[in-house]
Amino acid sequence: MESASGADSGPKPGDRVRVERDEDTYEGVFLPSSTAESVVLKLDGGYNVAVSRANASVAVLEGGAYDVESAQDVSEGSASSEITFDADLPTVSLISTGGTIASTIDYRTGAVTARFDAEDVLRAVPDLAGRANYRGRVVANVLSENMTPAIWQELARAVYEEIEAGTDGIVVMHGTDTMQFSAAALAFCLSLPVPVVFTGSQRSADRPSSDNVINAVCAVEAAKAACAEALVCMHASESDDQCALHRGTRVRKNHTSRRDAFETVGRKPLGHVTYDDEGISVDFHREHAERGACDLKIAPELETDVELLKFTPGTDSALLDACAGKAGLVLEGTGLGHVHTDWIPRIAELVDSGTTIAMTSGCIDGRVCDRVYDTGRDLLDAGVIEAEDTLPGTAKVKLMWALANAEEPKALMGTSLAGECTTRSTPWA
Amino acid sequence: MSGFDEHDYEELGLVAGLEIHQQLDTETKLFCGCPTERREPDDAVQEITRYLHPTRSELGELDAAAIEESRVSRRFSYLAYDTTCLVEADDEPPHRIDDEAIEVALEIASLLSMRPVDTARIMRKIVVDGSNTSGFQRSSLLATGGEIDTENGPVGIEDLLLEEESAARIEETDEGTRYGLDRLGIPLVEIGTAPDIRSPSQAREAAATIGMLLRSTRSVKRGLGTIRQDVNVSIADGARVEIKGVQALDDIDDIVRNEVARQQTLLDVREELDERDASVGEPTDVSDVFDDTDSGVIAGALGAGGRAMAVCLRGFDGLVGKELQPDRRLGTEFADHARRHGAGGVFHTDELPAYGISDTEVEALREAVDAGEDDAVALVADDPETAETAIEAVAERARTAIDGVPEETRGANAEGTTQYLRPLPGAARMYPETDVPPVPLDFGEIEPPEVLTETVDRFEKLGLDRGLAEQVAYGRRVEAFERAIDMGIDPALAARTVESTTTELRRDGVPVENLDDGDFEGVFSLVANEGLPNEGVPEVLRALANDPELSASEAAEQAGVGATGESEVRETVAEVVERNEAQVREEGMGAFSGLMGEAMGALRGKADGEVVSDALREEISQRTE
Repeated sequence: MESASGADSGPKPGDRVRVERDEDTYEGVFLPSSTAESVVLKLDGGYNVAVSRANASVAVLEGGAYDVESAQDVSEGSASSEITFDADLPTVSLISTGGTIASTIDYRTGAVTARFDAEDVLRAVPDLAGRANYRGRVVANVLSENMTPAIWQELARAVYEEIEAGTDGIVVMHGTDTMQFSAAALAFCLSLPVPVVFTGSQRSADRPSSDNVINAVCAVEAAKAACAEALVCMHASESDDQCALHRGTRVRKNHTSRRDAFETVGRKPLGHVTYDDEGISVDFHREHAERGACDLKIAPELETDVELLKFTPGTDSALLDACAGKAGLVLEGTGLGHVHTDWIPRIAELVDSGTTIAMTSGCIDGRVCDRVYDTGRDLLDAGVIEAEDTLPGTAKVKLMWALANAEEPKALMGTSLAGECTTRSTPWA
Repeated sequence: MSGFDEHDYEELGLVAGLEIHQQLDTETKLFCGCPTERREPDDAVQEITRYLHPTRSELGELDAAAIEESRVSRRFSYLAYDTTCLVEADDEPPHRIDDEAIEVALEIASLLSMRPVDTARIMRKIVVDGSNTSGFQRSSLLATGGEIDTENGPVGIEDLLLEEESAARIEETDEGTRYGLDRLGIPLVEIGTAPDIRSPSQAREAAATIGMLLRSTRSVKRGLGTIRQDVNVSIADGARVEIKGVQALDDIDDIVRNEVARQQTLLDVREELDERDASVGEPTDVSDVFDDTDSGVIAGALGAGGRAMAVCLRGFDGLVGKELQPDRRLGTEFADHARRHGAGGVFHTDELPAYGISDTEVEALREAVDAGEDDAVALVADDPETAETAIEAVAERARTAIDGVPEETRGANAEGTTQYLRPLPGAARMYPETDVPPVPLDFGEIEPPEVLTETVDRFEKLGLDRGLAEQVAYGRRVEAFERAIDMGIDPALAARTVESTTTELRRDGVPVENLDDGDFEGVFSLVANEGLPNEGVPEVLRALANDPELSASEAAEQAGVGATGESEVRETVAEVVERNEAQVREEGMGAFSGLMGEAMGALRGKADGEVVSDALREEISQRTE
């Protein structure tokens, strides 16, 4: 069974092998992460070790000692995979788009990738059992940085179909990086009679400490609740005791790694889901759209030729030139909504040539007001629209929707369509 | 049974191995920039609560120990400090692995004659008892294939792992276990020997040798809990038992002796059970038997809606009460398992009637489970779920007794005995840490440090007697001693200073723990360069310990032991007068006060003012004569 190092007839993943090199001998299971340069094997104690193939001899002791491929497929041989129906429970649709709530390690690259469908989520999170009857659906399997407006549209149609089919609430499993954009897109594209709750996890599902279990369980409870909006349900603190329910158009990922990265900007969250050993409860503290208060409608068209441009001192005006001919442009300006005064004539030209330009603020929190300083007034004169207190990212999604669906898109940018902006600034409310 | 000599252990087929865990004294933790500093719970700045859920290995298996742990308790709380960060809180990915820790670990590997692997692959070792916020311990195999010598032959060193220390358990609360994040992430080296150890004394000797080599790096933590020994023990026909957390070296041989005796007795019990054709019945609800019981425990449980569950242990009569270790019986092992599942303990008929359980009740209990004369009955009273799972755990442990010695993980008790902790963990608990890329171990030639036994020889050659040389070499202030020798300090004075002087000061109530190597170096420098008399050393150290902000010379001044020698004062004063020769010639003593200021400035306050003024007066009068 001896084989020359690196030969094609060499060991396969799952084989039990012995690697000898100089004075060292290692025995273990040959792993798929082995490369042309090195053999990676799992020793009996569980440690992985990589041995350079140079001067090493590899002998197969037992072929196929492990079925490495199926071992990584959690769907096989799992007793909890049966989904039972209980007429007394509401129905919740689990829509998967990918992301760490339902991801596992790719042992070829060593990185974390999304590879589960919605039903796998039920197996991965057994705590979901008994809370609802579930309908599973996979819209995409992408990391959220790879999300596109086209997938938002597919997602909106999927949600629409699920609600038409009679589901009582929807949970969308989504990578956290761009979750807020997808939630905003659905808020604009759909008129919702039931909740659509986005959730994910900041710590990947392959670790015992993942926040996926609590986020998913709380999201399902929120999907059964009375608030018919596009919501984001994620940890409210670093502890596993509460999830916050954020309005999809007002939420922002404000931390790279913390469990409680998501925050409602400028206000308190709409509600909370409390999680402890005693049970789970959902409470809403702020005014929200009630379940069943409006009829299901869909307007999924989006004008995707819209850009978001952040201005900081020294930003090259060539970036502005590059936006010439765009259907829409959202500026993230300084303070109350400003850019360098040299930019203003060029902005006027863009507006004149048909680009709709809306102003938001890099302050993130607070309202744009271009009537206080000369720069602002000049921007208004140039044809820039104030997006009020709309978040820059949300304003981009909104402008995409408004340009495709409204006769007077400009008029909509300062008006609330889905709670994205207000007429009164009341951070204490 | 502890009267065996080495020969008997060989006959019994004793096979033992060690796992030594040693914290490293590095600047930062293994995967973040936090200091490796322990804290008091009162200093916590935040408390976080978390749940853990077992996950599968990349080979698709769930670890038995992890599953059992997850059934027991899942809610944990963690105290965070201003010396811990989001990495320990599992709210930020690990940073790059600490190079200093790898270098120290490779030094240790070289001392153990081990060979490093090409690339360190960081693994996650699933641990769901809450002692790691992530639910796993990051661990990496760095070296294999070493050996140490003992009087009874060589002991192989199989592997050296560099891992992160777990969080320290602070207390059990009603809400679960509370841990501190201060200890989590301190670099920890784990050294595993081959199962080459054949006697209790060899186990102790091997542990002592490894401990000595670890200290030779002068980069390991010291003090209680910074080194922990696990001992794996089995005898012929027995089973591998992993004993965790032996804190004192002196306990190792006792622990091994007691474990051998335990396995021996369990094998005797097996033989007896075999002769009696023993078996274990099905758990039965016997609550009715105790309707009017005087037993506080049972009445309390039943009164609160609980149940009394019993199991008939056929052929076990008299054996449940059999002592396996000093003051620990087979029944105690049953109780260990029951407690793991939340029950307060176990009653068994070998110890009944007692604890308020009457003769009549014992009879009724035997009848209820159809127990005969040769049979024993074990009983648990608790809330229905606990009673059911606990009695099942007891039944399971009894069944294993029929087979002999169970493989398991046990915890070391203070008195040299052990108790059941959990099943042996397997390879299924390990999977790759994807947040940390593999680290090539291209650190070049690692220079192995001088081994402590050689250090002792070297100190002896300096003129110290063997005892003092050992004391200094193994002591905490060996670096300060070496520095003193480099400065040309008399070795006897240096040794006396770092050892007996500090001991005497401590007995005087001086906080000598405030003294670091730099303080000693400062004092030795005063002796070497500034003429500090030997007698002044204890006083300067006292002043430094009481006010660690002081420099050595400030301390000397405060202690009134004149840091600056008279000759230096004279030299400086002469220079000052020389510089101002014209003025001195013109004004004579009238120049005194101006020059006095200048001289004091030149001496930067290190000298006694009276000494300076005397010297200045003399110098001026010499020049004006």
